[in-house]
Amino acid sequence: MRCEDIEPIVEELADGSLGADPARDAHLASCAVCQARLANAAAIHSLLVSREAAQPPAAFTAAVMARVIRERWQSEQAIDITFNLAMAAGVMLIVGGGVGLAWTSGLLAINLDFTAVMAATSATVLNRISSQLQTIVMGAALLTMALGLWWWAEADPSI
Amino acid sequence: MSGSPEHELIERCRKGDEAAFRELVDQFKGLVFALISRSVPDRSRAEDLSQEVFLRLHRGLPYFRGESKLSTWIYRITINLLSQQRPDLATVSLDDTAPGGDRPRFEPCGADPAFGAMMLRDRLDKAIQQLPVPYQVLVNGHYLKGLRYEDLAEALNLPMGTVKTHLHRAKRQLRRLLETEFR
Repeated sequence: MRCEDIEPIVEELADGSLGADPARDAHLASCAVCQARLANAAAIHSLLVSREAAQPPAAFTAAVMARVIRERWQSEQAIDITFNLAMAAGVMLIVGGGVGLAWTSGLLAINLDFTAVMAATSATVLNRISSQLQTIVMGAALLTMALGLWWWAEADPSI
Repeated sequence: MSGSPEHELIERCRKGDEAAFRELVDQFKGLVFALISRSVPDRSRAEDLSQEVFLRLHRGLPYFRGESKLSTWIYRITINLLSQQRPDLATVSLDDTAPGGDRPRFEPCGADPAFGAMMLRDRLDKAIQQLPVPYQVLVNGHYLKGLRYEDLAEALNLPMGTVKTHLHRAKRQLRRLLETEFR
């Protein structure tokens, strides 16, 4: 047996996964090069066995969860922005369409005293809702509070 | 796997149960961190990458079909992440026929055995970081308690019987590196 035959199996010899072989053992007993290789492989094996596993820091799980929550919030923000942009585009489309329709149907060409029409309309509306004014104010206050809460929850990433 | 505690945990995670995902992280953080910190010497970088493994896991949960074990999937993410860090070491070279040199040069221990062992441990760590990533994970993982052989084989896409052969090849490359570059 030669050194070239031993070299590829030095690791198996070092970790004991090969059985005895008289020819191989005879070569190993007389060859300093193979003995040195085997010593190196054995040293590597024993170091690998004795290496301790590094422990993650105590706050590891909390740090992962914080990143998960932040990432989810960012993706929700992206969805919100996309939704808002789509809504704005939709409103612009409807307004633009309405103006275009009015333009093509000749409605814009009708000449009216706009201020007088608005004043008359407002007076009529106020007259009709004056009996329910308290309910309307309460409703508006509730709606404002709800919108305020929604805005606050959206602005706070921890929620 | 259906009905197993692991399957139930995954299902809970998929439904957005934060406590379940926290449980999952607690279950695997030790292995992931130990594996990564053996390939990435900088502790804060290792921590960052380990967190990234779990973030990728969280992102991928909706697509996880449960065909493989959760641990296999985690190792796969770990290997991919480490490979992205070192694209030059992402694959195993088939050229494993490099000569071992005429004469082995590194000395396992010097005059002071404790100092010699410490030096060798340091050189060993550096040499491991020079191995292809699949070999790094194989060598690091094989000597970690709790890492199952079959999970490692599945994650590395190797037949079970081949894992041992690759492990010996990895250790041979390690020894050759220590006998040449790191002596």
